[in-house]
Amino acid sequence: MSGGGAGMSGGEGMAIVPGMTELTRPYWDAAAEGRLVIRECRGCGRLQHPPVPACPACHGADFGWREASGEGAVYSYTIIRHATHAALADAIPYVVALVELAEGPRLVTGITGCPPESVTVGMPVRAAFRRVTDEVTLPYFEPA
Amino acid sequence: MTPRAVAIAGIGQTAYARALPRTAWELAIEAVLSACADAGLDVAEVDGMCRFTEPFETVSEAMLVRALGIGELSFFAQAPHGGEALGAVLAQAAAAIEAGLARIVVVYRALSQSQGGRFGRADGRGPGVATRASGGAADIIVPETGNLSFAWPYGLMSPGQLFALWATRYEAAHGLTRDQLTTALGSIAIAQRAYANRNPNAMMRDRPMDWEAYQNARMISEPLRLFDLCLENDGACAYVVTSAETARALRDDPVYVLSATQTLSPYREPMGIYVQGDLLELFPPAAAERLFSGAGVTRKDVDVAEFYDATSYMPLRSLESYGFVPDGKAWRYVAEQGTGPGSPLPVNTHGGHLSEAYLHGMNGVLEAVRQLRGTSFNQVPGAEVALVGAPAGSATILAR
Ligand SMILES: [Zn+2]
Repeated sequence: MSGGGAGMSGGEGMAIVPGMTELTRPYWDAAAEGRLVIRECRGCGRLQHPPVPACPACHGADFGWREASGEGAVYSYTIIRHATHAALADAIPYVVALVELAEGPRLVTGITGCPPESVTVGMPVRAAFRRVTDEVTLPYFEPA
Repeated sequence: MTPRAVAIAGIGQTAYARALPRTAWELAIEAVLSACADAGLDVAEVDGMCRFTEPFETVSEAMLVRALGIGELSFFAQAPHGGEALGAVLAQAAAAIEAGLARIVVVYRALSQSQGGRFGRADGRGPGVATRASGGAADIIVPETGNLSFAWPYGLMSPGQLFALWATRYEAAHGLTRDQLTTALGSIAIAQRAYANRNPNAMMRDRPMDWEAYQNARMISEPLRLFDLCLENDGACAYVVTSAETARALRDDPVYVLSATQTLSPYREPMGIYVQGDLLELFPPAAAERLFSGAGVTRKDVDVAEFYDATSYMPLRSLESYGFVPDGKAWRYVAEQGTGPGSPLPVNTHGGHLSEAYLHGMNGVLEAVRQLRGTSFNQVPGAEVALVGAPAGSATILAR
């Protein structure tokens, strides 16, 4: 846990967790097993995140999930110092980042394992998983 | 769209304040009646309405027809994406008039954030967030809509936080120091505050802001400080769109629509941060070209711009994406030339969302109309052409 990066399970014991659809559940199920996966078109190999029902490149509808390396770099970030939700009152300051995976897609995620002030654009990072409830684990990233 | 075929014949607004003791419905009624009176029209003549979709606009055209005693609407339409639709609703109204679907179209926007929830807060608003019991504590389950289920669990919940990601990327992509970025953002915020100080309708009319006050404000979502973020308030705006011929019969100084355009590309909707390629490109160059070529004017012809500014970053980047300043140069431009009176392109002369009030882009349209009538509190001498633009979704060019 970084300085204040206490995960989104702050005030009053509330955790903020993703609702899941048929399309998105495999992503979160993999995260619960400590794996980062990205939806892949079996027709043309294009990766997509977040998942959409069709492949925008070939309009194929046959998809699998590719195991990502978990390596990437910070594309942008912000240190959030003002909580916009009661559940986050104890979490600030925390870092929200856009991480560009080595495989290409970008994820919205959090940066952990370092002081918020040490995060920079371009910083190499690797996946680190944070269990926020019994059922839900979120992919985070830490300095590589 | 034919330039000068359609005009804005009337504008109306309520007072703007952090909390007004009236519902959004009441505020909308006042603004619509005020706009019709300004146009010299009986509201009964209105036969068209355009507005933002819910959840942004909570006052439906049905509520207004009922309350205002309007006999029948023959055209009504809504545009999605909140403030990104500021030009879209005008484009729809103008298209309806040119197509003969309606004669008098009212465009309106009413907000009661004091009663309906502050946009800067995620609790109490948001996409129908449910809770469930889990180990004795209640979890907040973010339903998957618009990719929010991939953002909210990380505490990325408000537009201001999102635009902090754009601003940080801008800083890195163009090799700025944090001080240079702060100077650029602050230049915009301070210029807009000075405009607001001369605008008696602005919420910040009596609140001057200098560099020290700007820089000492608390960080909200780095690199954005308190004064880089828009106000939260109640109020309403409306305007009347009709044919140029009808507008000329109603008043001596109609404001003509030269062009209006919508644009949507993958992940360019609000909160759609998953764009592939360059995150920084917001309003597409092709859409800007469509806007200007449709209007038959060049950037040099534009006398004043009203840019949607939920954050100070948006006008900064809009100077570039609408083609007034080359990509990556606006930070230096605003620091050196500024956006205030006498600058090459005065921006947000009402004070904008940062310092007049937050009316989802609609108060920018009203200010453009005042500029082109010659009645702004911060009048740009001889203003003939005005651009009103959202960061990514739609825009219009107006002329006297
Ligand atoms: Zn494909």
